[in-house]
Amino acid sequence: MTMIAITTHFVPRGQQGSRYPIRSCQSLTRPSMAASEDSNQSKIRTVFGSVLSFFILILIGVLAFSIRLFSVIKYESVIHEFDPYFNYRVTQFLTKNGIYDFWNWFDDRTWYPLGRVIGGTVYPGLTLTAGSIWWLLNSLNIPLSVETVCVFTAPIFSANAAWATYLLTKEVKGTGAGLTAAALLAMVPSYISRSVAGSYDNEAVAIFALIFTFYLYIKTLNTGSLFYATLNAITYFYMVCSWGGYTFIINLIPMHVLLCIVTGRYSSRLYIAYAPLVVLGTLLAALVPVVGFNAVMTSEHFASFLVSSVGTMILPSNFVVNFSLQVFIIIHVVALVYYIKGILSPKMFKVAVTLVVSVGLVVCCAVVAVLIALVASSPTKGWSGRSLSLLDPTYASKYIPIIASVSEHQPPTWPSYFMDINVLAFLVPAGIVACFLPLSDASSFVVLYIVTSVYFSGVMVRLMLVLAPAACILSGIALSEAFDVLTRSIKFQLPGLPENSQIDVSLILFMLLTIKAGDTTSSSVVTQNDAAKTNKNEDTLKERPSRKNRKKEKEHVEKTSIKSQIKKRLLVLPLEASVAAIFLLVLLGAFYVVHCVWAAAEAYSAPSIVLTSHSHDGLHVFDDFREAYAWLRHNTEVDDKVSFLHVYLSVVCLIFLNLFLHGIMVWNCSCILIVFTLLEL
Amino acid sequence: MAISEKPILLLILISLAVVFSGAESDRVAELLSLQSRSKSGVIHLDDHSLSRFLTSTTTPRPYSILIFFDATQLHDKPELNLQGLRSEFGLLASSFISNNKDSPSASKLFFCDIEFKESQSSFAQFGITSLPHIRLVGPDVKSLKDSEQMEQGDISRMADSMSDFVESRTKLSVGPIKRPPMFSKKQLGFFVAAFLVWAPFVVKKVLAGQTLLHDSKIWLGSAVFVYFFSVSGTMHNIIRKMPMFLADRNDPSKLIFFYQGSGMQLGAEGFAIGFLYTIVGLLLAFVTHVLVRVKNVTVQRVIMLFALFISFLAVKKVVSLDNWKTGYGIHAFWPSSWN
Repeated sequence: MTMIAITTHFVPRGQQGSRYPIRSCQSLTRPSMAASEDSNQSKIRTVFGSVLSFFILILIGVLAFSIRLFSVIKYESVIHEFDPYFNYRVTQFLTKNGIYDFWNWFDDRTWYPLGRVIGGTVYPGLTLTAGSIWWLLNSLNIPLSVETVCVFTAPIFSANAAWATYLLTKEVKGTGAGLTAAALLAMVPSYISRSVAGSYDNEAVAIFALIFTFYLYIKTLNTGSLFYATLNAITYFYMVCSWGGYTFIINLIPMHVLLCIVTGRYSSRLYIAYAPLVVLGTLLAALVPVVGFNAVMTSEHFASFLVSSVGTMILPSNFVVNFSLQVFIIIHVVALVYYIKGILSPKMFKVAVTLVVSVGLVVCCAVVAVLIALVASSPTKGWSGRSLSLLDPTYASKYIPIIASVSEHQPPTWPSYFMDINVLAFLVPAGIVACFLPLSDASSFVVLYIVTSVYFSGVMVRLMLVLAPAACILSGIALSEAFDVLTRSIKFQLPGLPENSQIDVSLILFMLLTIKAGDTTSSSVVTQNDAAKTNKNEDTLKERPSRKNRKKEKEHVEKTSIKSQIKKRLLVLPLEASVAAIFLLVLLGAFYVVHCVWAAAEAYSAPSIVLTSHSHDGLHVFDDFREAYAWLRHNTEVDDKVSFLHVYLSVVCLIFLNLFLHGIMVWNCSCILIVFTLLEL
Repeated sequence: MAISEKPILLLILISLAVVFSGAESDRVAELLSLQSRSKSGVIHLDDHSLSRFLTSTTTPRPYSILIFFDATQLHDKPELNLQGLRSEFGLLASSFISNNKDSPSASKLFFCDIEFKESQSSFAQFGITSLPHIRLVGPDVKSLKDSEQMEQGDISRMADSMSDFVESRTKLSVGPIKRPPMFSKKQLGFFVAAFLVWAPFVVKKVLAGQTLLHDSKIWLGSAVFVYFFSVSGTMHNIIRKMPMFLADRNDPSKLIFFYQGSGMQLGAEGFAIGFLYTIVGLLLAFVTHVLVRVKNVTVQRVIMLFALFISFLAVKKVVSLDNWKTGYGIHAFWPSSWN
């Protein structure tokens, strides 16, 4: 009976639900017309799916690029704000003088009379990227000016970021989720605000580098391939070059590694994902002049608290290495433990463990006793709680007023969340739940990412930018899962469905088998409809990769199929409710699109250099800044020194003039005093 | 006789001086004893003792007095933070006393506080119109209104800035501020003992893989909780110390839960919106993952309709609240040829 009944063929579900793209499916059945037809059908479906994904990705890229063009259309192709002008000036210098001069540039025209070491105090990633794009285009004889390249760098890299999000989410949950997440990221207002055409700032490039680094980390974690690990280190280097936010990566990844170890998910892939990143990444990061030894020393960032607070009590403070290296040591210890576990027999391993644990406890008690002695001897020098301040949101406002006063560092209220991530705020909890069912290394990483980024964005509104990709990923996962269930409900419950005729006789035999096996729950469902449903059940099982194992796996397959018959039914919801739900979800998506376009057009597309006002006789454009600089240019000598009260204005001025400028820089209080005295304030 | 008058005058003057200085050292001794009897070294003054130590003395006095002005009826106004300032003042006093135990400057500066209801006339004498207020009465100050006032900037960093003020005006050193450690020695000892007892069990559990940490539902719950916590703007409420609700200015019996204006939010408002954000997501997750496994179709239908209805209302509510609060009018951009 069992021999006859084994005619299962597994109709692949397509790309969803599997982590690696199914390139082809092979049927295990006896060659039959039905089987080859089905496999052809599934091949066509797979190919069609891939081509469709490709076109969707291209459209997503176009969407990401074009939604950021509002200010170019409303005003002109001009660099926005004031800070990007500094980056623009540096890029101009780079394109004129080449990379070696740029790297060693000492600019005596800013912050007169101190000057500024540009090579050592600026993150070179953005300027080098724009510079190379310009050089490439010029060598292809496309004569774009540096300004145009700078203006459009951000939209290009946001398209790249959307594609990186697709890749990352595909690694976590599959292609459908990937496409949804990419589409959401292309439009999310928080990212648009920092990457609109003309916003030539570090974040434009850095967010792409962030997402791509995370993608390569997850890819290495899933595949255990050293190739991806090396690529990961190189991409991390690019991120370090681009933005100070690289500390987020180098703290989040060790936290995830620690989490995996603590919850018992250590594996060799984890080691390969982490160790090369730390070694190569830290070495490469130390090459960037701005970072230097900060790559290795204690970082004042969130993850160092407990261990480095203990460490600072015992060792001099600049001796404590940063968190990633601490976890590096821990992972080696864990790897050693597992290796020994593999070598020894279970009994010997238990003995070894008890020995080590007891020795460890004794050492621990000794350390704790020493600590108590230290704390008791000097109560004020003890655990001053400074490390807790890293988690304490009120730290900056109490102790560092000048940082606390920056408007970007204020804590956001709930309307900021609604403005910046809009509808995604509703979908993220569903995404978190979906990540737990089932929990894998990649999905635990994504959950950790969202939890840390949402906490820190609650402290500082500037960090909403880091929250945006995480929110898009999780919302993409949630939406994809929801659509999966709802469309499945509709597809298999449409009245007059021809699939009812696709009854596989063998499957009915399976049903009889299960009845024989004594399970009563499925005995009530031996009907034609249910045969169609059980046809669907096969979809949820994984497919077999090769014909060679066919015989060995026949029995295994049989048993699992029986079990799955017993346990699984078609997981659907009622038809009308599903239709209503799909309609509401589409409405939600439409609202999201409307909001994003509005935010991009109205809220985030103002170049602060040029102001407009609407009056009864039309639109007035105020170009005061540039007119003032033009006046200065015509009426002053080259070597004159001009003093500005607002540092950003001085930076813009440098583009138009070639004067020595003295602006107020935050970290030189005596300069500030002099300027104020000059202006008699 | 003229010759014998001068020595008598001199004698009288000297005896007066002795009496007065005796009176002065009496006062200092009295202040010292009051100080040792009072909690954290802050002497509580009232009208009578103020006149004894300050108004009815002659200048130069051998001591300066730093007075903290308090009013119990204003203790529950959070923006004044009177109780916090008072405890910082007490820390300053106790640090000064303990750092200057054996030096002569111990009797040169005394820390006092005075309460409004008991000593209204003293407040009038100083000319106090608002709180918090701290005044330094130097040795040479004749009229109380001329005493030096501690400015807002000197109060901003609590005891540290107060000690800077004291050191700069009185030229006496306060020394480092001694703050009590977070846990007393007994508590620390208890924690250590508990940890040692608990440690072997924990290690065993970790090795067996059965701790709380291994249960994924705990992680799920805490992740959603952290999300809810952050998205409701709780950090903003903590940092800015926003109240949960305000009393309506026009009608004090009504409470305002929602603040109009995008820069600020109230506590209850944040939690309500955070709840709405989270509930929609959780309902969607419930429908997608749990409801599909339910066998009864009617139950599925009812619950789904319920979930859809609640989610729709929640989203609509959040959208309308956002428009009301921020005043933004979100609209679509249709092609102008359609108009």
